[in-house]
Amino acid sequence: MTEQIERLLMRVEKPARYTGSEMNTDVKPISQAEISFAFCFPDTYEVAMSHLGLKILYSIINNLPYAVCERVCMPWVDMLEGMKAENVPLFSLESRTPLHQFDIIGFTLQYEMSFTNILEMLWLGGVPVKAAERGEQDPIVVAGGPCASNPEPLHAFIDAFMIGDGEDVIVEVVSLLNECKKTGVPRAERLRLLAGIQGVYVPSLYTAAYHEDGTLRQFLPIDPAAPATVQKRYVYDMNTTAFPESIPVPYTQIVHDRIMLEIMRGCTRGCRFCQAGMLYRPVRERSVDTLLAQAENLVGSTGYEEISLSSLSSGDYSCLPALCQRLMERFAEKRVSISLPSLRIDSVLKDSLAQTQRVKKSSLTFAPEAGTQRMRDVINKGVTQEDLLSKLKDAFEGGWSSVKLYFMLGLPTETDADLAGIASLGEAAVKAYYAVPKGQRAKGLRVTCSASVFVPKPFTPFQWCAQDSQEEVIRKQRFVRQQFTAIRGASFNWHDPSVSLMEACFATGDRRLSDVLYRAWQLGCKLDGWSEHFKLDVWLQAFADCGLSPDFYAHRTRQEDELLPWDFIDIGVTKRFLWCEYQRALNAQTTRDCRLGCNGCGIERMKGLCSYADDRSV
Amino acid sequence: MRMIVVFEKGLPVRHIGHLDLMRTMQRALRRTDLPIRYSNGFNPHIQLSFAAPLSVGVVGLREVMDVPMSAEVTGAYFQQAMNRVLPSCLQVVSARSVSDTFPTLMALVAGSRIRIQLSICAEATRIAEVFPAFMEAAECVTLRKTKSGENMTNIRPFIAEGSLEVTGTEAIIRCVIQNRQDGSLKPAVLMQALCELAGITSVDYIAYREQIMTRNPQGALIGVEEYPDA
Repeated sequence: MTEQIERLLMRVEKPARYTGSEMNTDVKPISQAEISFAFCFPDTYEVAMSHLGLKILYSIINNLPYAVCERVCMPWVDMLEGMKAENVPLFSLESRTPLHQFDIIGFTLQYEMSFTNILEMLWLGGVPVKAAERGEQDPIVVAGGPCASNPEPLHAFIDAFMIGDGEDVIVEVVSLLNECKKTGVPRAERLRLLAGIQGVYVPSLYTAAYHEDGTLRQFLPIDPAAPATVQKRYVYDMNTTAFPESIPVPYTQIVHDRIMLEIMRGCTRGCRFCQAGMLYRPVRERSVDTLLAQAENLVGSTGYEEISLSSLSSGDYSCLPALCQRLMERFAEKRVSISLPSLRIDSVLKDSLAQTQRVKKSSLTFAPEAGTQRMRDVINKGVTQEDLLSKLKDAFEGGWSSVKLYFMLGLPTETDADLAGIASLGEAAVKAYYAVPKGQRAKGLRVTCSASVFVPKPFTPFQWCAQDSQEEVIRKQRFVRQQFTAIRGASFNWHDPSVSLMEACFATGDRRLSDVLYRAWQLGCKLDGWSEHFKLDVWLQAFADCGLSPDFYAHRTRQEDELLPWDFIDIGVTKRFLWCEYQRALNAQTTRDCRLGCNGCGIERMKGLCSYADDRSV
Repeated sequence: MRMIVVFEKGLPVRHIGHLDLMRTMQRALRRTDLPIRYSNGFNPHIQLSFAAPLSVGVVGLREVMDVPMSAEVTGAYFQQAMNRVLPSCLQVVSARSVSDTFPTLMALVAGSRIRIQLSICAEATRIAEVFPAFMEAAECVTLRKTKSGENMTNIRPFIAEGSLEVTGTEAIIRCVIQNRQDGSLKPAVLMQALCELAGITSVDYIAYREQIMTRNPQGALIGVEEYPDA
């Protein structure tokens, strides 16, 4: 096989994607491990290696004395075709072991449009694509990550899902399966045992029934081993939970080619469209000392020249100025620069800005998300126009001339006045730049406004909402574009609404979407996250072939009493809280940041987990 | 002082491009405590240069780079420090400290010694058959890409020496490629010319650059890393 692979490598684009051997990937020989785990990332190497979760879990599993973890990525089309033609099975980067020879296959679910890649990778790796068709000798296929919060569209392909923070549950799963392997426990029993681990969902142990109108009537376990409600897993202390001391250093440039320091998990803001903000509650910080020690390890083991501070809202980190100061002092000699990726416009960042500027001055990104105050109140984005303009002023005075503003289009209750507000903000940004005297401002103004299409996500207050129809989204995009033609210095980018339609379907879908996914894959869909490969007509045909309609999933407003496909998961925030938030949204009522007082989202039920919880509000 | 470093770019990393290799070496240097020099300016980077870029896909057995140092260290210490932080397919073979007046490596390079290995198959046998004729010919014109574009070039003058060895399992071509005014010759272009002569479309092979050559003050061909320090 090695010779065939070498031959293929001479013919494909970017062969270094497939060759491994990077620094810090010298894991133990697969033959010497009791149990092997293939960490599968359902996208290309460049995307996979930019993902912090992969690096965390890779290090955790490889630190288990009895286990080995190797990486497997989705090959690009040229390689895919070559492998099919030459009968080369999908193989791991470390030891080139075919996927089907691993004991456990783990997929991370970051994005709905990567789902077809999961099917393609299993098939190419010689693993039966459907869970029901796997036998005693086949690997156990598990999955986790944000899209596992509604696992149903993938229920036919994945043996067990892990819900919530992965650091602990992955060890329990690997350890349990290792014991089972030693004693030869049959597959069906292994799955039942897995269902006993908190946070694990084994879909084959549940059944779903539907009303005539297509909505879910009933969802129940059919095996005593399966809990009626699956409890999400939490990491309680970010200072003691595992974080890698070394991470692979790719040879080729990847998307995020730097050290990512996870300074905290969770967010207290409560933006109503944001799934991550709900899924990763509560906010848990790492201490400056912990972060400094982790940075020290990683700079030493990788030699990276840049550290980014990673979290949902880095500006909210309580010790941000102190952290930046100490990181910069510590690594000045090694010329390591520090960057803040997810800047929030309402954070107290002036000091930090002044410091990052010393190192690097790339474009600044702000996310007002909506164009008018009313709309921002609906989505609970606690940012005012004055805030935004004062931050822009700071940025332009600080020497930046390129800013990006992120918006969403198609939000619940949106009117044309809200859309016009997007252009007004763009125009205000341009004015803020010209308000800085010539000589004092940097040259080359660029205001880039981008609008994505709103996608309703499970476990958000907007999970009941309908997405705008394709026609309406296109009309709105055209409307905003028109407004921008008059503004010099600002440009407007928009997204393909048909991709957002499929995202909405698979984000909020039920079990029946497994059939659609399978059909779409059979019809040739893969790499759908890459616009050149996304084919809406094929997806629509797959829906039609399965007797289902995307309208039902994406364009339907759900009722309060509707049983939602993901209701059997306890994700921390309660359905009651989400419904209250939805009602407040419809009235454009904001809800305070958790740090200003507990809002009773449901996390307070977990004692000692949330530092801002008010136990009395239970 | 500067460090003249000989390293191997092994089979698993032969597809890494020149800039990626440069970044890899810079990161490796940052993993050590070696006294390296940084450039000034807004985005300071570690100073480092290579004798000659290696074509993607070619294994380099004795690649050479030049690392300016900010304090004295021995070659042995440098080699040890680097090999602790480099993967096994990218190891330092030797390192030698020279003075700052040592010529730049790029200016020294006169050519290279390469080896091309073909597993025996119908195509490889055809290549072996035409190779002696290629060596005897004064001219061999093929399409060659350079910075200035694609040109039909007589590549024969690039080959200073050439030999062929055929064993039961392999055909091995060894050549000394000499640089000319318009640059060097990639092993892939040589193989393409041989394929054209043999009347085949392609052949599988692995190319090795065994050594990067210079001429010593007496005019003899030596490894670039051996050039005398004044």
